[in-house]
Amino acid sequence: MSTDTATPPAEQPDAAENPPPRPGFTQLFGRYLIEANSVMVTVYSLLLAFLIGAVLLIVSDENVRSTYTYFFARPQDALTSSWILVRDSYLALFEGAILNLNTLERFQAGTAEFGDLLRPISETLLNATPLIFTGLAVGLAFRAGLFNIGAQGQLIFGMLGALAVGFSLNLPAVVHLPLAIVAGALAGAAFGAIPGVLKATTGAHEVISSIMLNNIAFFFLVWAIGTGFFHSETKSELVTKPVDESATLPTLLGWLGAGLRVNLALIVGLAAAVFTWWLLSRSTFGFRIRAVGFNAHASATAGMHVGRTYASTMAFAGGLAGLAGAALSLGVGSSGVTTNTALEYGFDGITVALLGRARPGGIVAAALLFGALKAGALSAQPDVPVDISTLLQAIIVLFIAAPALVKAILHLRTPRGGMVTLEAKGW
Amino acid sequence: MATDTQVPPAFVGGSAPARHMKAGVTHAVLGLFLIAIAFAVLGDDRLTHIAFDRTLTDLDWALPTQGIVLALGAITAAIGVWMVLGIPQRRFKPAGATAVTAFVLAILIWSYSEPGAVFRAESILAGALFLAVPYLFGALSGVVCERSGVINIGIEGQFLMGAFTGVLVANITGNVYAGMVGAMLAGSLSTMLLALLATKYQVNQVVVGVILNLLALGFTSFMYDQLKKAEGLNDAYGIPTLTWGPLADIPVIGPVLFQQKLVVYVGLVLVFAIWFLLYRTRWGLRTRAVGEHPAAADSMGVAVNRLRFWNVTAAGLISGFGGAFFTIANSLAFNKNMTAGLGFVALAVMIVGRWNPLGVLVGALIFGFTTKIAQDLDASGSALVPGEFLQMLPYAVTLVVVAGLIGRAKAPAADGVPYNPGDK
Repeated sequence: MSTDTATPPAEQPDAAENPPPRPGFTQLFGRYLIEANSVMVTVYSLLLAFLIGAVLLIVSDENVRSTYTYFFARPQDALTSSWILVRDSYLALFEGAILNLNTLERFQAGTAEFGDLLRPISETLLNATPLIFTGLAVGLAFRAGLFNIGAQGQLIFGMLGALAVGFSLNLPAVVHLPLAIVAGALAGAAFGAIPGVLKATTGAHEVISSIMLNNIAFFFLVWAIGTGFFHSETKSELVTKPVDESATLPTLLGWLGAGLRVNLALIVGLAAAVFTWWLLSRSTFGFRIRAVGFNAHASATAGMHVGRTYASTMAFAGGLAGLAGAALSLGVGSSGVTTNTALEYGFDGITVALLGRARPGGIVAAALLFGALKAGALSAQPDVPVDISTLLQAIIVLFIAAPALVKAILHLRTPRGGMVTLEAKGW
Repeated sequence: MATDTQVPPAFVGGSAPARHMKAGVTHAVLGLFLIAIAFAVLGDDRLTHIAFDRTLTDLDWALPTQGIVLALGAITAAIGVWMVLGIPQRRFKPAGATAVTAFVLAILIWSYSEPGAVFRAESILAGALFLAVPYLFGALSGVVCERSGVINIGIEGQFLMGAFTGVLVANITGNVYAGMVGAMLAGSLSTMLLALLATKYQVNQVVVGVILNLLALGFTSFMYDQLKKAEGLNDAYGIPTLTWGPLADIPVIGPVLFQQKLVVYVGLVLVFAIWFLLYRTRWGLRTRAVGEHPAAADSMGVAVNRLRFWNVTAAGLISGFGGAFFTIANSLAFNKNMTAGLGFVALAVMIVGRWNPLGVLVGALIFGFTTKIAQDLDASGSALVPGEFLQMLPYAVTLVVVAGLIGRAKAPAADGVPYNPGDK
């Protein structure tokens, strides 16, 4: 389907007769800025998304909206209140994700610890961790031409798998923690393989089957938490037993302050990204994934098992999403898992993978960005609606997926070699 | 469920008996399972109660559960054996359908034999038709889009936009019907974006569809939180149930057909209207041509991308109206993600209906019935299956149906393929 990735024009300007003057750095850079290449499309997508977000904030805020009723009498009221609203909202996101200016002042005055200063960053990294895994889960499948929107369900099964091992076995930490993580990955892989196998054997489209499995997984989670095996022995509400100390993920920055929750799973996530990169670009399996994703018919003609590749890619992707689940259930500490622990990390994996253009490096960067957005939104609620992160993410990736739209809105130039877009197959 | 195996081409369509090992064994096993259940689980004193709860309220049928399950199990098993031994080709499909129906019926009769459970036939059938409405609208929207060659995975998002905007407009104007129009326009606005990206910018439709779902989810959830701060923007508005005078008193048919809300009738009319438009009008011919072979349509003077754009935009009116089901037709206020993936179930309904409005009606009724049964069994507290598993049922059925059908149900040939007139 994606056959026509525009090849650079083959015209050779008569360079020998009339060499054009070499453009200087400023000129090249300026040209780069007004070109729809992937870097600038990303930058402009972010800017446009925050702009649209600002408009929505203004439109939906009752107090600010009321100042627009007398806009023509006193425009400065409307403009000032809009500006203050947008500034405060985005500042709240920034303070929740990067650096709290209030804490900075207290730190300078000597009333806050250095650890307090790091808390927003730690929250960003904590929220980015599952996104790295789910982003990789979606991105890897993308490379095989599969649109895995089932990361949420795979994550839920990973969560339950890791949890089951995490509280039921009695082992030393050296064995227990890795075992619990592996259990999460395997549970996710088993669940993730289903849409792949269905596609391979029956041709069922993975978008529908994986979204159905998401819903099934959610109800399974609600049921599982209520069962005697998982349900907390001390609390009456719908919450599971906590994992043992020996299976809890150790915090990375805990020695700097008590509230720094970012844990070892971040390192595992980065390792998974490196491994996925290696897998995709250096291994035979990865070659097969890319070949099938590029042209399934040609790969089949070349003797590759397309169906088997679909199934194993989905299992692998499910395993990655399962690791996200393990990171969540082994990271929550003593509080146990609820039906709400998974949030929307699986669905966010879709936006992460699209922003990261299905490349491991890009996915890590996108996960950090969206992790920051999520951490900011979680800390800024209820002043700013928490779903502003979902909204901004969706707008950003809409532009990323449709670079031609960004190009048209901002009158950018077509870059040499065409624009990068992502493809997923129809029925 | 019935899988064809190794049918020699010469026999296809003929009446010579052919063996169907996989399908036969599956049916035989299902039948034996029922027989085993009948003897092991069901005692001979178990009764399944069927009531006509709205018209003939004092009638109560009590059927012997064990005997019926046994009989249905025997039928299923017998058909399985027949398939293994060799079945005339033209009898294969009807036989498979009979076996599956018998199996489902047996499971139903078993479920409603639990102590305290009563199959309230009229309420359940009327509820099934009502619950078929969102599937119907979503799938019809999908049919219009995909017949024009654009994949609409964003039905879920259009539902959400319709559900949200419907309530908002109803609250602002104080008129529930204005709310329904608002829902249609909101759905249309969101498909217009899809149409623009799919035709003018030739973006991948599956990717954009999924993103539009996320966008709708983010937008409606965000607005929900913002508007919650003000009074009177998300109050529940409902529409009345229409009762057709004496017609509503006919047993079974009355409560099911002549005592429903407006949305049900709109849906039924729309099925036939779209069928007529697609197969009996010039617009329909052009639309189908554009979905099957856009280059040919183009050479006959049809403006492919313009037709696609307006068809997809119009389809949004349908799915947006379907969104109003969740709030207005149910007299509910908007809530975050209240459509809960049913937009995707609607896509499965479209596939079951093989991209044909009449087929879609049948599919929607099956799914509406499944959903209603799951809700009813859950509410009656029948202990056979945990409630969570009943809630999974529509999704699980979708999974099975999509897996079982998609290979054989054929999508329009140019479905999802952007058309660039310069590429010829």
